[in-house]
Amino acid sequence: MIGYVLRRITQLLPVLLIASLGIWAMIYAVPGGPIGVIVGENATQEQIDAATRQFGLDRPVLVQYGAWLKNALVGDLGVSIHSREPVLDLIAQRLPATIQLAIASTLVALLLGIPIAITSALFPDSWLDRALSGWSALALGVPTFWLGILLILLFAVELRWLPSASGYVPFWESPIQMMRNIALPALTLGVYVSGILARFLRASLVGELQADYVRTARSKGLRERDIIGRHVLRNALLPFVTIVGLMMANFIGGTVVTEAVFTYPGLGRLLITAISTRDYPLIQGCILVILVIYVAINMTVDVLYAYIDPRIEYA
Amino acid sequence: MIGPVLSVRGLEVAFGSQDRRVPVVRGVDFDVYPNEVLCIVGESGSGKSVTALAVSGLLPATAKVEGSILLGGTEVIGADAESLRNMRGQEVGFIFQDPTTTLNPVLPVGRQVTEGQVAHGRLSKADAPARAVELLREVDIADPLGRAGQYPHQFSGGMRQRAVIAMAMAGRPKLILADEPTTALDVTVQAQVLSVLARRQAETGAAVILITHDLGVVAEIAHRVAVMYGGRIVETGPVGEIFKRPRHPYTAALLQSIPRIDTGNRRLDPIPGQPPNPSALPSGCAFHPRCVIGRDRTRCRTEDPMLHRVGETQFSACHFSEQTNAIGIAAQPRCESSRSEIAKEPLLIIDQLKVHFPVKAGLLRRTVGSVRAVDGVSLTVNAGETVSLVGESGCGKTTTGRAVMGLIKATGGNILFNGQSIRDLGRAGLRKARRQMQYIFQDPYSSLNPVLTVADIVAEPLRIHGIYDEMGGASRIAELFDMVGLSRTMLGRYPREFSGGQKQRIGIARALALQPRLLILDEPVAALDVSIQAQIINLLQDLQRELGLSYLFIAHNLSVVRHISDRVAVMYLGRIVEESTRDSLYEAATHPYTQSLLSAAPVPDPAIQRKRRRIVLQGEIPNPASPPSGCYFHPRCFRASARCATEMPPFEQYLRSPTRSACHHAGPLAEGGDIPTIGGSSGYRPMEAAS
Amino acid sequence: MNRMMRASAMTRRLLTRKGALFSLIFLAAITGAAAFADLLSLDPLSQDLVNALEKPSAAHWFGTDELGRDIMARAVYGARTSLLTAAGAVGIAAMVGIPIGLVAGFFGGWRDAVLMRAVDVLLALPGILFAMAMIAVLGRSQTAALIAVGVTGIPSFARVTRAQVLALRKRDFVTAVEAFGGTSTYNMFRTILPNAWSPILVQVVVLASVAILLEAALAFLGVGIPPPTPSWGEMLRTGKSFLYEAPYYAVLPGLVLTLTILSFDSLGRSLTWLLEDRHELVELNVERAKP
Repeated sequence: MIGYVLRRITQLLPVLLIASLGIWAMIYAVPGGPIGVIVGENATQEQIDAATRQFGLDRPVLVQYGAWLKNALVGDLGVSIHSREPVLDLIAQRLPATIQLAIASTLVALLLGIPIAITSALFPDSWLDRALSGWSALALGVPTFWLGILLILLFAVELRWLPSASGYVPFWESPIQMMRNIALPALTLGVYVSGILARFLRASLVGELQADYVRTARSKGLRERDIIGRHVLRNALLPFVTIVGLMMANFIGGTVVTEAVFTYPGLGRLLITAISTRDYPLIQGCILVILVIYVAINMTVDVLYAYIDPRIEYA
Repeated sequence: MIGPVLSVRGLEVAFGSQDRRVPVVRGVDFDVYPNEVLCIVGESGSGKSVTALAVSGLLPATAKVEGSILLGGTEVIGADAESLRNMRGQEVGFIFQDPTTTLNPVLPVGRQVTEGQVAHGRLSKADAPARAVELLREVDIADPLGRAGQYPHQFSGGMRQRAVIAMAMAGRPKLILADEPTTALDVTVQAQVLSVLARRQAETGAAVILITHDLGVVAEIAHRVAVMYGGRIVETGPVGEIFKRPRHPYTAALLQSIPRIDTGNRRLDPIPGQPPNPSALPSGCAFHPRCVIGRDRTRCRTEDPMLHRVGETQFSACHFSEQTNAIGIAAQPRCESSRSEIAKEPLLIIDQLKVHFPVKAGLLRRTVGSVRAVDGVSLTVNAGETVSLVGESGCGKTTTGRAVMGLIKATGGNILFNGQSIRDLGRAGLRKARRQMQYIFQDPYSSLNPVLTVADIVAEPLRIHGIYDEMGGASRIAELFDMVGLSRTMLGRYPREFSGGQKQRIGIARALALQPRLLILDEPVAALDVSIQAQIINLLQDLQRELGLSYLFIAHNLSVVRHISDRVAVMYLGRIVEESTRDSLYEAATHPYTQSLLSAAPVPDPAIQRKRRRIVLQGEIPNPASPPSGCYFHPRCFRASARCATEMPPFEQYLRSPTRSACHHAGPLAEGGDIPTIGGSSGYRPMEAAS
Repeated sequence: MNRMMRASAMTRRLLTRKGALFSLIFLAAITGAAAFADLLSLDPLSQDLVNALEKPSAAHWFGTDELGRDIMARAVYGARTSLLTAAGAVGIAAMVGIPIGLVAGFFGGWRDAVLMRAVDVLLALPGILFAMAMIAVLGRSQTAALIAVGVTGIPSFARVTRAQVLALRKRDFVTAVEAFGGTSTYNMFRTILPNAWSPILVQVVVLASVAILLEAALAFLGVGIPPPTPSWGEMLRTGKSFLYEAPYYAVLPGLVLTLTILSFDSLGRSLTWLLEDRHELVELNVERAKP
């Protein structure tokens, strides 16, 4: 087991390393290069020279990368050009909001997606199946930012039940306020992801239902609900775990658009602000943190999958 | 007299929509009595599997079922889900074809074995694990206690199928339905599974319906036989009568067309044409277009014959069943004239060929060992000769063929073609050498490029070598079509429009396009229907005679090999264990593995079958990544001594015979019982490691 | 000839599905409008501040925006932006992704490892973030949006192609070509690729919908194609500020965007169904004895 985890980590290391190299190199690809980013476009030659020395930009490129990586590993992601605050602090302020939204959205997605998929798979090609599959297609196809706008129009503008802009309220401070604030963004994201989950789970359930072992189970005289519950679901849920994990990983950075719709103060908004103010250390920091979380969740899912599937042996 | 366990009357099953209904079973009647094995034989599309599924009520909802199926006094057709459920597992148990997929991969085997009984409330949850162990022990699974908690992927194929037998028997049902239960298994494993099935059947007194296409299996296990063709039973009767005096032309022709392990010189009498497609059945008797008797008779063309009594217990559905005896007398001896002219000049010499695949493991994927797929194989094929390489799955026979062809890189040894080493050849040289030898694949369904017309497929080798026009272009392609017996009108069609046998002919035409001297034939008939195999075998023999070809014939089917070969080499775990001329190998094998293989292969003749002594080998083929010490065969061998476990036997000539054998104790089978025969196969050794 | 007949038979079969039929009609209408927008006497840029934020009317079917521009005209020209970006992006993704998948799948070994790790790097971030990061570097422009969306699509082509090649690589007809002395290049381009088209085609359609969505999302976030070029995402972004005064401003262009995405998605599913169905028809006739 530990060997398997180690092997996965060694496989991911090159990916992380190359990606971090890309993130670091970003700043060199920007017009004006790193110095321009630090001192601004209208700097004097002295300012440039001073900055070059101060930030060690006269050292060989690989040494610079090494220094950057070393700092990043101990949590020093530099200082925001705009607010002059440490990048890590800025990110740490926003991360809880994003995580809270990710969890709420996942719950919505699972609560909608799993029942839809099971109902669909039990009556394949019936009108019910077609209706639910249509719903999944709709949930998948409607852009989240349009759905968000429609939800705001309905619940905030027309009915005035919920705020049109959602703030971050930690769950333990006021669960009710938290619910009011997170309801619309979580619904928006959750509906979208429920479409993916339902489509995937339905396909894998229908596939499993045609497997030979289902016929074997029927031939033993098992009840249909036991066949689904004990045999089919167990097989279909294995790959489903991976999909759910991928979704959660996607929520860490992929909620950018939803956060923008509801002006929700998460990591995504921070990144957009950073990009529009050309705050490169902050951009790099955000992307690096998202990357690490994303890759870590993916790996956890892999390992979890290997753990619950008896066929995979981690030799 | 005891009444039947199962009584089927007027069974009809059709698939498809209201407007395009395809009849798959068209009026089938039969009974099965307690303590009886009924075999239903037929080719693809005959409706045999659908009949079995109908009996169990397991057909998909799209199937339209009519008639009557009385199982233990209960009508199955139209029964509600609950009574069907109660019937399954209690009245009837099932064994399916593919043991790799019939068990749920994520549940422990033991639980799956007893699950049905628990569901029926006939076994308490607390008692289930102990009962599972007991059931697994009854089907000869070693260490049943440990095995019960394992998952299917930790079982070998034969063990899985035995576990499925245990599962089917768990409720002591009155009827067992087995659908091709050994088709996916190797011949020595098939022998184990059949013997377990037969023993458990005798112990429980259950009735068994066994569906198969293999007449050898029928002869081995059946009491009574029903032959199906085109959705109907065309003949039924006691096994002895059916084989001795078939009263339907299809049964008779089928028996004539199959190669037999006990004779090799007869030229096969193939049944012309293809088994009918259920969606386009011939009028009248479905067999008439392929029938010697009925081909030209109006009555056969217009009137579908009913099953009628032709003997005390034998029934046939033929208008002219009394004329069936005439079939088979015409069998000609195999044309031997060319055989004597074989020049003893070697065309292909395989010398100490080794193909090892690295096994990687650990953090850095380092090579920690190797799978010795082929481990020092030496073999010579002379010009105009057929040499066969036989063995069970995983023995390395296909890898050897592919290495000779240069499709897999050899890791040691040498391959000489026409005196020149192929291993030293560069890319261009190899390309040129490949014009001299060609490969024919097992699976005609996957060996033809689906996006090309068959004319383009046959022309492709010529185009690749840039000699299409030089060789005569389109007229050469048409000529090749004539040679393999295909109509020129088919040239513009796509592979999917052809049947399996026709596709194999296209594959042969393509291989002949470059005018090779050697053909490597990798199981060329294994994927074909029984009645089609003979057509292809005859075609291959004719082509060899006309074109002076040499064949390296790779196969697992010993009967086919006996039929086509001049010399035979038997492989086990990457090595040749015995090699000889055909007749001395089949008549006087010296290696215990060859002897077991020969004895495990069923003969389609119940009279002979009963007289034969069967060696049932213990265990299954070990993992080639970690072969046993000494002689690779010793853990399964009935003759093994202490020496065999430590010392690898040399491959050397046996006395003054034409045979070379790799055994410390080579020699003919002893008269008398030093070997485990079919009745005495009790307890498998724990050697049978999961692969 | 035969191949043409087959293609037309497939198309007829595709059109028997209502979803596919409606999708094709809608996409044809949108594409037609975008292509011939200049002939429709619609002006997306002329401002009319007096008539700003007008409700939909006979003169302005979709109403006017905060500068008095005709929203429908902007939506039609937005379709042009959107479809062109999608076409370009899918083109980039296919041109880079298909060869990567082909080489990685066919040769395996170190080539496979290197190429697929490189593709993994592209997948190490959610697509939208990756595109945003690229735009942060390249600056905000039409080309940047095109490249960003295109690069994000490379992994799907690479993976689909590789999976196809791996499956086909083991098929005997590919080995057969090797056996008569066909070269690797011949095998890759003449044998494997012609057999791998169907899932790649499905991928083109699926990716078109993803590209349109991504382009709109970037514009919605204010990092896509810069104004005044009309773009659906940009319209939604501005329209969102006027939800109370002019709800139709965000809703109607969003509807057009949504219908376009749904059409591509539905077409993709119909294609998958069609290709799988054909596959099944072949398989059904193949009930054969295994050795």
